[in-house]
Amino acid sequence: MKNLTVHSSEHPAPFHRLLTSAFVLTAAALLWMPAQVIAEDQSYQALRDWIDNPPAENYATPGKHYTLSDRKAVLEALIPQTAWKYYFFEGMDMEVTETGHYPAPDDWGKKMTPTADYKLDDKGVLVGFTGGGTPYPEISEDDPMAGQKAVWNMLWRPGSNDYNMPMMVWLRSEDGTLDREMEFISVNSQFAHGDHSLVSGYEEVKSKQLFEFRSPRDMAGAKNLTIKYVDHYKENSGWLYMPAQRKPRKVLSSERTGELMGMDMIREDSMGFGGKVYENKFTYLGKRKLLATVNVSDNPEIGGPSNWVPDKARWEVRENHVVLIEPRADNHPYSYRIVFIDVETNWTSWMFAFDKRDDQLFRLNQHFTKYSETFDTEPPSQAPYVKQDFSKSVGHQVFLHLGQTDINAKKPHATITHCFVNKKAFSAARAKQFYSLRNMVSGRR
Amino acid sequence: MIARCRKQLIVLSILLSPLLFPALSWSIVSVGDDIELEGFVRSMNILKTGARPFNDGELTHQRNTAQLEGKYYFLRDSTAFNSFSTGPIEEATFTFLARAAHDSIFDLRDSYAGLNGRGKEEYKVREAFVDFIMPPFSLRLGRQQVVWGETDNFRALDVINPLDRTWHGTRESWEDIRIPLWMARGIWDVGKIGPFEETFLEVIVIPDDFQTNKVFADYPRPWAFRGIGLQEEAANSVLLGDTLADLYDSSVTVIDGTEKETDIRNVQSGFRFKGVWNDVEFSVNYFYGFAQSPGVKIHSAELVGSTFETVIETITPRTNVFGFTANYSEEKYTQSVFRLETTVTKGLPVAIKFGSRDDTNGNGFDTASQSVVMIGIDRPTWIPALNSLRTFFISTQFFWRRWLDYSSFYRGSFYDVQPAVVGGSVVPGRFISVNNDKIDQDEFVFTFSASSNYGRAGLWRPLFVFAYDPRSSGAYNKIQMEYLYSKHLVFKLEQHLYWRESGSDQSPWGLGSYLGEPGIRRNETQFTATFQF
Repeated sequence: MKNLTVHSSEHPAPFHRLLTSAFVLTAAALLWMPAQVIAEDQSYQALRDWIDNPPAENYATPGKHYTLSDRKAVLEALIPQTAWKYYFFEGMDMEVTETGHYPAPDDWGKKMTPTADYKLDDKGVLVGFTGGGTPYPEISEDDPMAGQKAVWNMLWRPGSNDYNMPMMVWLRSEDGTLDREMEFISVNSQFAHGDHSLVSGYEEVKSKQLFEFRSPRDMAGAKNLTIKYVDHYKENSGWLYMPAQRKPRKVLSSERTGELMGMDMIREDSMGFGGKVYENKFTYLGKRKLLATVNVSDNPEIGGPSNWVPDKARWEVRENHVVLIEPRADNHPYSYRIVFIDVETNWTSWMFAFDKRDDQLFRLNQHFTKYSETFDTEPPSQAPYVKQDFSKSVGHQVFLHLGQTDINAKKPHATITHCFVNKKAFSAARAKQFYSLRNMVSGRR
Repeated sequence: MIARCRKQLIVLSILLSPLLFPALSWSIVSVGDDIELEGFVRSMNILKTGARPFNDGELTHQRNTAQLEGKYYFLRDSTAFNSFSTGPIEEATFTFLARAAHDSIFDLRDSYAGLNGRGKEEYKVREAFVDFIMPPFSLRLGRQQVVWGETDNFRALDVINPLDRTWHGTRESWEDIRIPLWMARGIWDVGKIGPFEETFLEVIVIPDDFQTNKVFADYPRPWAFRGIGLQEEAANSVLLGDTLADLYDSSVTVIDGTEKETDIRNVQSGFRFKGVWNDVEFSVNYFYGFAQSPGVKIHSAELVGSTFETVIETITPRTNVFGFTANYSEEKYTQSVFRLETTVTKGLPVAIKFGSRDDTNGNGFDTASQSVVMIGIDRPTWIPALNSLRTFFISTQFFWRRWLDYSSFYRGSFYDVQPAVVGGSVVPGRFISVNNDKIDQDEFVFTFSASSNYGRAGLWRPLFVFAYDPRSSGAYNKIQMEYLYSKHLVFKLEQHLYWRESGSDQSPWGLGSYLGEPGIRRNETQFTATFQF
C-alpha cells in the first residue's frame, strides 16, 4: 500500500484516477463474476453439484406463477443448473401446480411376467421380462443395480406405446430463426403385454412403430418401420421407404449416435435414454425433486429469447430418480449422460448429455406429458393437419407424450417437438398387417 | 398458337392451383378431410461443359416442371364415402401424379428448331391408381411403378417399368424417368410361416400395356444416342465388299415387330415371395415380360442397281427373369447392411455380326441369356474430421453381368462413323457406320456414393458419386450440393464428370468410356431450383 501511495504520488493526477477506476471496476467484476460463472456453468460437475445440494424445504408454492424475479429464491433449486441458461429469461412465466398423483391402469401389473421369471443379468440387462407391468416397482437407493432398474422401469413404463401421434417439429437457431419445419406421424403398438402378445405368435416382439413424414415435400412419404424385441440383446429391425426409390431399404439399427434429419437429438437420446443397457455403465445418484412439465394443460407455448423452451406452461415439483449413464465405447460422443426419471410415472423429465471432449453440456432434452384422464376435461390442441377424437384416450390412465425440447448447446441449436397424441388400439389382424414389411413396399407415392 | 398457349396455361393453372392458397400451401394441402395435395414447381438448367469446363459450355436444357400429386381417402374404417359399409375392405385411396414440363431451351436455341419440338413439352397424368386394403390382402390397380430388387440405378430386377432416357439419359431420379404402366398389383400378407417371418406374396399383372425404353437419336438433342467415332459427320455411305453405295440413295424398310402397346396378348406378369429368415431378408422373383430394348433382324441388305436396299425388323422378344435378393444387417462387427441381388434373364435380344459364323439365322439377330450378380454394402460411417455431428451414408455396389451363352460375334450398341476406305484409300466426303463394339462376356461396374448433411439444421446436403468400369476404365463422378433454403425452396447444384483412364473399349454402362470421348464428352453443370408444397 505504501509503495502504491508513493508510486501514485509520483504520477500526474489523471493516471491516478485511471488506476482508481480500474481498481473499482476490477473489484466490481470480481464480485459480480462468480454469480455469472455459476449461472453459465454448464459442466458435468456443476450439474453433479446441483444434484447433491437440494434445498432444505424451500420448494415452490402450488398455484403460484413464477417469473425471473423468483429465480434465486425458488427456481434455481428446482431447475437443473445446466438448463438455467435457457429456462430463465425476461418475461418468463412458470405456473407451478400441486404435485399430482397419477395412478397406473387398473390392470397394470396383474398380467405381467411373474417376478421369479425375470432378472437383471451381470450386464444389467433385463432378461425374461415380457411387460404388463413395472419390472421394479420399488427401488432401493442402496441397490447396486438401482440405476439400471430405474431405466428399465422407464423403458417399460405404462403408456409408452399404443398411440397415434401426429407431430410438428421446429428447428431453431439461437437467434430464434426457424430453419426447418417438419410434420410426421408416428403410430406405435405394444406387442408384449406380459401374459400375451398383441398378435399371437409374435411373442418375441416388444413393440412396433411406423413413422411417416408428411412435410416438407422433399421428405413427404418417407416412412420408417422399427421393430423392438423383448430380448434386449437382439438389435432392432428397421426399414426405410423413400418415395424416390419406391422400395424399402434395410437400415442399420446399431448406429445411434448421429444426429437425425438435421434435428438436435441422436437416436440414443430418445426419452432420455434409448440405447442399449449393456453398452453403458450405470450409477444411481439418488432422488431429487425438480420442476417438470407433467400433466400440462396443452402443448406448451414455446418462448425464451431463442424460442426454445416451454413458457406459460404448467409445472409440478416431482421427485425423480437420477441416473448417471456412462457410455463404454471410446468413440461415443458423450462422457456422461444424466437422466431424471419420475419416480411415480417412470417417464423421463430431463436428460443432460456431456461432451466427451470437455465435459460441458452437449445436448439436453426436456419432456412435456399429459395424463390421459384429463383429455376430456382439458383437451390438448389438435394437430393442424388432422383432427382426432381425444375422448378415446380417456380411461387408459396413462401419460401421453405432448412433446419435448432438444437443445444442442454446442451448435447452438434446438429442436422443439409438439406431439398431438391420442391412444390407438389395434386389432391383432390389423396390427399384423399395418406393421409389416408388406406395408413398406409401397407408400404415399 | 394462341390455343396452344391457352392449353398450357390451363394445365399449369390446374397444377399450380394449390399455390393460390398460400395460407394452406406450406405443407401438404388438405382439401376437406379426405383429399390431400402436394407437389412442386422446378426449373432445371444444364450447361454442357465438354472437355474444358466454362470455356466451351453450352446451355442444353432449361426444363421447367410442375408436378401435382394427390390422394383421395374415399374409404376409411370399412366405410366408403362416409356413407356405406364395405365389409372386409377396410381402406381405399385414389392417388394420382401429374406432370407438366416445358423445356424453354427450345425457344432459345435456333439449333433445336430442326427437332420440331420433339422433347420440348410433356403433359401427363403419369400415375393414377386405386389402393384397396382388405387384410390380409391389398390391391393396387392402375397406372403405377413397381420396383423390385436391392440395386440402385441398375437394371436387374428393376425391369418392370421401362425407362424414358430421352431428356437426360439415366441421370435423373428413376422415379421421374420410369414409364408407369397400367397394371394390377396384389399382395397377400402371409406373416409368419414356418421359419420365415414378415412374408408376403406379391403378384403383378400387366394386361396389355407394353412399352419399350425410350431413347432419342435426334441430333442435336443433347442426350441423343449417336454412337462413337466422328461426331460432326453422319454416315452417308455403306460399304458392300469394295463397292461404296450412297446411303442417300437407299431404301430402308422397317417392319415394326415390337409388340403393340395395347394388346391383350401382350400380358406380362410376375410374382415375388419375400420374407425374413434368421434376420436375413430375402425375396424370390419371377417376371415374364418383353425385352424393353428392341433387337433388329436384318432380313435383307443388298445393292439393287445403284440403290442400297435393306429390310429390317425391330423385335422385342419375350423374356423370363428369375431373381433372388437378400440383405442382412450386421450390427456388431461391421455395422453394415449387406445387399445381394442376382438374376438370370433369358431371351434378351442381341446383335450378332451379320454373316458371321455364329449368325446361324443369317439376320444378325440372336437372343441370349444373361446373369447379374450385385453385391452392395450400406454403412452409416463416422468421419469426424469431416463431420462431427452426423454420419456419412456410404453405399457401394459391385456389379457383375455375364452373357451365359456367349458368342464372340455379339455386338453392342455403339456404331462408329468412320471415313470410307476403298482399296486402301480414303474416299473424300464419304463416311460409313460400322459396329466394332464387341461385347465382353463378363462386364463389371463398381459404384460408390457418400452423402451427409451440414449446417446447424442439416440444410446443406452434399452428395458424391463415383462409378467405374474396370474393363473399359470408364468412370463417372457426380458432385452435388443441395441447399434447403426454406420449407418451400430447395436449390441444387451438380457437376457431372465423365472420364476414362485409358484405352478405347466401350463400356455398356454409359460412363466415361463413351460419354467422356473427345467430341462426345458431356460433362455437365446443373442448377435446379425447386418450389415445393
